[in-house]
This record gives sequence, C-alpha cells and structure tokens, in this order.
Amino acid sequence: MITLLKNAKVIDPAHHKDGVVQDIYIRDGRIIAKPADSEKIGQVHDLNGKIVMAGAIDMHSHIGGGKVNIARMLLPEYQAMRKLDEPEAHICGANCSHHATPNTTDTGMRYIEMGYTAAFEPAILAVNARQAHMEMGDTPMIDKGGYAMLGNDDYLLRLLSQNADQKTINDYVAWTLHATQTIGIKVVNPGGISAFKFNERRQDLDQQHSYYHITPRRILQALSRAVNEIGIAKPLHVHCNNLGVAGNFQTTLDTMGASDGLPMHLTHIQFHSYGTEGDKKFSSAAANIAEAINSNKHITADVGQILFGQTVTASGDNMMQHLNAKVANPKKSVIMDIECDAGCGVVPFKYRDENYVNALQWAIGLEVFLSVDDPWRVFLTTDHPNGAPFTSYPHLIRLLMDKTFRNDAFDKLNLDAQAMSNLKSLDREYSLYEIATMTRSAPAKLIGLQDRGHLGVGAAADITVYTDQADKEAMFAKPDLVFKDGELVVKDGKVVKVVWGATHTAKPSFDLGVEKDIKQYFDRYHTMQMNNFKISNDQIAEDGRNHVINHTQGS
Amino acid sequence: MTNQQDIMHACPACGLLCDDISGDAIARQQFSCGKAAKFYARVSAGAAPAVGGSTASLAEAVKAAAALLKQASAPLVAGSSTDVHGARALVSLSHATGAAMTHINASSTLRNMKVLQHRGWQTTTLTEVRNRADVILMIGTDVVSHNTRFFERVVWVDEAMFTEPAARKIIYLGGDKLNTKPGVAPDGRAPEVIACASESLPEVVATLRALVMGKPVTAETVAGVAVSSLKSLADTLKTAKYATLVWVSKDLHYAHAELTIENITETVVALNQKSRAMGLSMGGSDGDTSVNYAHTWLNGVIIDAPEWESHDAVVWVNSYSPNAMPPAGTAPVIVLGAPDSTFDTTPAVFIPVATPGLDCHGQQFRVDGSVTLPLTAAKPSDLPTLSQVVALIEAQLKGDLA
Repeated sequence: MITLLKNAKVIDPAHHKDGVVQDIYIRDGRIIAKPADSEKIGQVHDLNGKIVMAGAIDMHSHIGGGKVNIARMLLPEYQAMRKLDEPEAHICGANCSHHATPNTTDTGMRYIEMGYTAAFEPAILAVNARQAHMEMGDTPMIDKGGYAMLGNDDYLLRLLSQNADQKTINDYVAWTLHATQTIGIKVVNPGGISAFKFNERRQDLDQQHSYYHITPRRILQALSRAVNEIGIAKPLHVHCNNLGVAGNFQTTLDTMGASDGLPMHLTHIQFHSYGTEGDKKFSSAAANIAEAINSNKHITADVGQILFGQTVTASGDNMMQHLNAKVANPKKSVIMDIECDAGCGVVPFKYRDENYVNALQWAIGLEVFLSVDDPWRVFLTTDHPNGAPFTSYPHLIRLLMDKTFRNDAFDKLNLDAQAMSNLKSLDREYSLYEIATMTRSAPAKLIGLQDRGHLGVGAAADITVYTDQADKEAMFAKPDLVFKDGELVVKDGKVVKVVWGATHTAKPSFDLGVEKDIKQYFDRYHTMQMNNFKISNDQIAEDGRNHVINHTQGS
Repeated sequence: MTNQQDIMHACPACGLLCDDISGDAIARQQFSCGKAAKFYARVSAGAAPAVGGSTASLAEAVKAAAALLKQASAPLVAGSSTDVHGARALVSLSHATGAAMTHINASSTLRNMKVLQHRGWQTTTLTEVRNRADVILMIGTDVVSHNTRFFERVVWVDEAMFTEPAARKIIYLGGDKLNTKPGVAPDGRAPEVIACASESLPEVVATLRALVMGKPVTAETVAGVAVSSLKSLADTLKTAKYATLVWVSKDLHYAHAELTIENITETVVALNQKSRAMGLSMGGSDGDTSVNYAHTWLNGVIIDAPEWESHDAVVWVNSYSPNAMPPAGTAPVIVLGAPDSTFDTTPAVFIPVATPGLDCHGQQFRVDGSVTLPLTAAKPSDLPTLSQVVALIEAQLKGDLA
C-alpha cells in the first residue's frame, strides 16, 4: 500500500530543503519516488502546507540499563507527585509515574508523542549490556541503540599499560561492539572510574593513573584511533575528566587536542564549561568552549542543558558522583563499582533558578548553544535525565528559537548569576531549519544511520508533521502526525498504534584471534564465562518484538 | 555449533548464578553445590495440566484459569519464581487482570529496598570483590547457606588482579548457626569470628558504625561483644585497601532489620570518605532480583509485599521452588509453575510450565544486580513457557470479554 503525504512543507537539511512544498510517497516503510499514475494510493493525508521533518533522533539519552533502573527504584517520591485528579495529557502505562526516569513504556510513548523516532543510550556498561537491551527492548514506539563504555575496564587499561599495539586495541574495540550489540564507543572520565577503585578522588587528563601508569590522554588517543581505524561512523563519545568541577573548562579544551585531530564527540559539554572567576569562584567558560568548538572542526558536542526542577542524575562517573552525592536532593544516592569494567553513580538533584550555580549552569548551556556556529556540530540534549527529563525538549527548543521568551526566563534567575552571564547579549534565534539539523540530519550523520534523519527517497519513513505556531514549545510538544517506518502511530499528539522499533548496531570486521586473550582474561579474573558476556541477535529478539538493524559503515 | 555437552550452563538455583555447569556434570550429577544438584535432578516428565485436581487439556486449564481471573475482583500475582521473560509475562498478566504483583521473597527484598529508597548505598559486584577485596566482613551471615560456592568462586580463587587471594582477611560478625569453615584460608588460617546473636546485631552494628565514624563510645561491651574487638574491627576496615561488607537480607529476619542494613551501608559510606570499601548484598533465589528489576522498568515502581487477605484469587508461580505454595486460606489458587510441584491442598488450576535453565532458555539477574546471564535448557522439554501460557490466558480473557 502506498501512503501519500500531500502538500508537505519539507524541512530536510540533509537535502538542503527549507520549506519546499512537495508530496511524499511511502511504501513498505520507506519513502519512494512518485509512483506511476497507474499505481493505487491507499491512504492520503493532505497536509495543507504543514511542516514536515524526519523523525527526531536523540543521540544521548539514558533510557535503559542498570543505573537508569536504580534511578527508578531510588525515588518513590515521584509516585506522590502524580496528579491523579487531572486528566492525562497522554496515554500512560499502568503505573505512569511522571518520573524523571519513566518506565520503559512511558519512555517510548513520551518520545513518539514529541515526534522523536529514535533514542540512543550513551552509557552501556559492557558487562551490563544485556540488561540495557532488555529495557530498550521493552521500550515501544522508537528505535534504540547504544554506546559501549570502555576506558576504565581493566582489560583495556592492562593492554595500554603493557604497550599493546594499536591493532590489538582495535580488535578489542570491534569485539566489544559485536559482543554488546552497540553502535558506538564511549569513554567516561577516562581512567577516573578505575582510579576511584584505587582510592583516587580526581583524575586529570595528563595525570598518570596511580596503578596502570598511563594517562587519560593516552586512553583517549588509543580509543579515538581505534574507532577511526575500525571504520564506524560514530566518533568516540567522550565524557571528559573533572565533570562538574569549577575550572574544568581547561580540561575540556585540552581534551579536544587528545585525539590528534581525529573526530571526537564531547558530551554534555555544559557540565564541562565552568570557570573559576568571580566571588563565588564559579563562572561561565561557555565562550571559550564555543570558540574552541568553532575552530576545531574535528570536534562535535552535545550540550546537556539543565532545566529547573527535580530530576535524578545517573552517570557512569562514580568518582565525580561520589563527590556530588554531598549535594544530593533528596539526600540519598547510589554509588557502585562494577565488575572491573566500570561503575555508576545515581544522585537526585533539584535544579533551582534562585540558586547561583544552578542558574549559571542554565545560562552556560544556552550560551554554548547560541555561540557554536554550526548546528551540524552541536546537538540538542539535556543528558536525560541528568540535566532535565527529555520531555522538556519542546521547552528547550523554544528557549533557543525565541529570544524574548529566553530573556524573560533569564530575568527571573539568581541576580548574581545574571551578572556573570552574557546570555542577554546573544541575539541569535535558532531557525526551524537549524532545529531540524541538530535534531535530525546531524545525529543521523554522526551515528551513521544512512537511512534515517532525512526525507530522501529510500529513507525509512520516520516522519513528523507539525503545525507551525508562534509558540514553538506548543508546536514541538504535540505534532499533528507521526509515522514510524511508514505507519501512522501518533495523531494530534496521541499514540494511535503501538509499534516496537528496532536496535541499531555497527559490527565492523576484526581479527577473531583477539578472543583468545580475552577468554583467558575472563577465565583468570572474571566471575562469568566470556561466552555469556556476548549477546546474540536472537537474544535481542527473544521476546518477539525487537530486532537488530546492523549498519555497514566506513570502508 | 557447539554440542549440548560443551555448553556451560548458568545455574539459577541461587543468586550466584554459577555459569560453569557443564553438560557432563549434569549428565553425571556431579556438583560441588547441593542446591545445583537438587535443581538439576528435577524431572519434568509426566506433568499435565489439571483443573480441580483432575487432569485436563492445556486449553481446558487455560479456560478455567481465565474464568477464575475474570470472576475475581482483586487478583494477586504471587510467588513469581521465574526469570526475566517470565517476569515480563506476569507484569503483562497483572495489567490485563488488574492484579497486584509480588514475589515469594518480597519481604527480604523490601528490607533492602527500604534502605535504598531511604538513603541509597555504595555497593560492589562479584568480580570487583574477587580481584580487589583484602578484607571481607560478613555481618549476620555465612553467605554459604545461600550461595554455596561464594568462597570457591569469589574468595579463595587462584588469581586476582590487585590482591593476594590467599591472604584475604575473613571476618564474621554475628549471626546464628554459622558455617564458618568455608572462611578458612587455603593455608589453614582461621577466619576471625566476633560472635553475637542475630537479634543483637542492631546494637553491635550501630556501635561499629559509630567507631568507624570516630564517635566516642564509652561502653565496654555491647550485647556481650567487647567494644575493643569492634574498635579493632573498625581499624581493620579503615586500613583495608578494599573492604567488602557483606550481608544477606534473608538472614536479618528480625523486626526493622532494615535499620541494621542501613547501619552497614552507612558504615561503608563513612569508610569511603577516606579509604575504599563497598557493600555487597548476597543471597537471592527464585529470580527475585530479575523480577524486582523487570517490574521496576516495566512499571516504574519496585515489587510490593502481598496482603493476602485482600485478594480473592492468586496466580502462583513457583518455578524454582516446587514445594512452595501460598499461605493456607488463600483461594482460589492458579498455579503456573513447576512441573514437579507438590501440593498439600489441590489448587483450582495447575498448568505446568517450563523452568528456565532446565526445560527452556531464559535470562536471569545475578544477585549483585549488574550482571545478567542467559539460561540455557539443560534438559529441554516440550512444556510451554510461562510467557506462552500467560499469552493463552490473556487471549482467553480478551475473547471472553469481547
């Protein structure tokens, strides 16, 4: 059956289309060229010039895995926040909690209702990948995928400390992608999570790890090179050392140089853009960071915007979260060391606009957004749920597109924070084309999803239809229609059909000989068999809903 | 393709989930663990569905189960002794029938969850302990009563990356009828035992925490335990490279034992101000971790404790505890469970389902929470899985309602 979207006002940056009115034809879940007149059109939606974009792709959102589930467990307080007397604005699961880390059903529902058709879990502990995939498999409506964490695992640190050759590292990285069914590699506080297990409390970029005698810079070099040489699209996803520390912008700037010019993605950069100026020794270094992103073309970044309210932060960075636990609100936290592989730290936060640091964090994120020139290299994230839940994206989009709205919000901030920010001098307002770039075309390109994030012939028919409105928050909160793989799944902001999406992976070729040493490592030191560490396609699809889409990338 | 004999199976008989069980060991019934021996000796053959004690077809039993559930105004899904796939099916059934859902270990699980939800905690996992722990303190437990091979697989191992396994210091603090023999080092070095009854642990652990935090303690003994020995224990923990404080919530079975667990975890928090230490919650059985976790990601809330008297029908799943049944007086009972179930009271409906890890594949969480292992069918059978039976019941319910 062919579905026709008639008179669509297409915003498709991948094809340089900015408001071109055209017809879109869909068959078997794909966008097709205009069919012959003799072919029957099964379904017609006359859009009368409504805005049409590809489905949005969240390239960094903690939607599944151990720490997300701990976050769910940790905060029964959210149950008390439910407003049972109010009609639901959306279809809730049986126990919809309106939690910052909603259950898997609600996660999928909330995303699709906003016109997002894919989300990528950016911090899959390799040893915990099976759980992450179970949770993502139970997340309906959207496509999923993840980045496997390396760089604090004792296997890699041993290789580096023994001066292993780059080929061995490349093979191990590729083996990890296969074993964990992921599409990218992430490093969190390189070396720092491991160092915390040896009772170190900070790990600087050029400081030797106290046990392995290698530096985080060396870890970044090795991993960025491996990712590049095995040929996957997604650049190394880097959560820098010194998360959240005043003065950490220098670490961030130095980190940009650690890959020797190879592509690198610096994630939730807002949390890494802090200076030490002013009476409170905490200031914005957004201008320095944005300038460095503008001039370092090999660097991309997502922002990790904070928005005010209660949330819970879930990070692999147990070293820094152990420090942050002191300011937990409510006052509780979970810190874990995990399997000689990684760690995690889950700390609830309440960001308040009257708080100096929080207010400045809010401004810093927006300053970065507005000061980075190229929307292909800066991505719209709140580091869900760490800066704010992903459900606040429409609000964030309005802050970027509407200067008056932004400045009104700024005027309500802590006055000392206002004095320390140049936000009001930034006149930029993002266009719809730029929003489409940073939420569609750019993430698809970054991750290497050739058939997503655009509306060209052959693309998967993940399509969102909006009514253009002056209030961009209202516009992006409730699309008119959303199609997932060609099926109409959302109408007037409500789910009309439940679908399950797929899991995207990248599995570059590698020398299987590397497995001999990995197996020996497991046998000598682990508490599980290597074979049980590896996840098969069949196991991803086990309950009959999910399936793997592998992307052949690079050479 | 590997043949059946070469597959290493993960054993779901306890939360340790040892995944080194060879087909050969199962064939010859040779195990270093009694729980594994008992699990792999189970026989599924000959089980058939029954309604009111009389053998019935699967279709008849499904129909009877659906009819009872349709009639009930407040059904309960209980036992829930299964794996992740089973948990998904039970959550789905609870949504379809408006049932509450609990687990056979809910009371011990909730003892831990109260601490997590009140204060959080700082914990570690088995491979970290295996490679780092130089001091292992077991509080109110010998662990091996629950996890037989704990010392074999985690403590007295041949090699570790960051410590000398044979030199580890093992300390038992309190507990009843402990088997401390597994705590003896390979060279015969005895573990340290600071004895007190379980019921005295609230005072003793609170004192230990106070000493670790540097608070003044003036008493000379607490519940019969010399404060000097607790002081020396606190010093041992503080000077350890990686102290591990182990508890088993099932062994802390007195009123408000969650406060003892909180004192254990807050002792860890205090230690981590200057040195390194971590908590480790052991035990686990009947897929309790899997069911609580899956319930949490599917519903956004943890598993609940049952209020038996307020339910008028029970779906009982006992895949890993064939002898377990709900408390007497609860009726009617629909058992979707172990083919080798034994009943004192005949349930209203019995549908034998495949036990994950024995009759069919599955996935199970280890007790430390971060590791999930695939379960393989060690003795494949034709029994339907719990998911399949639940899907049939749901289809029947939908048909009835249409």
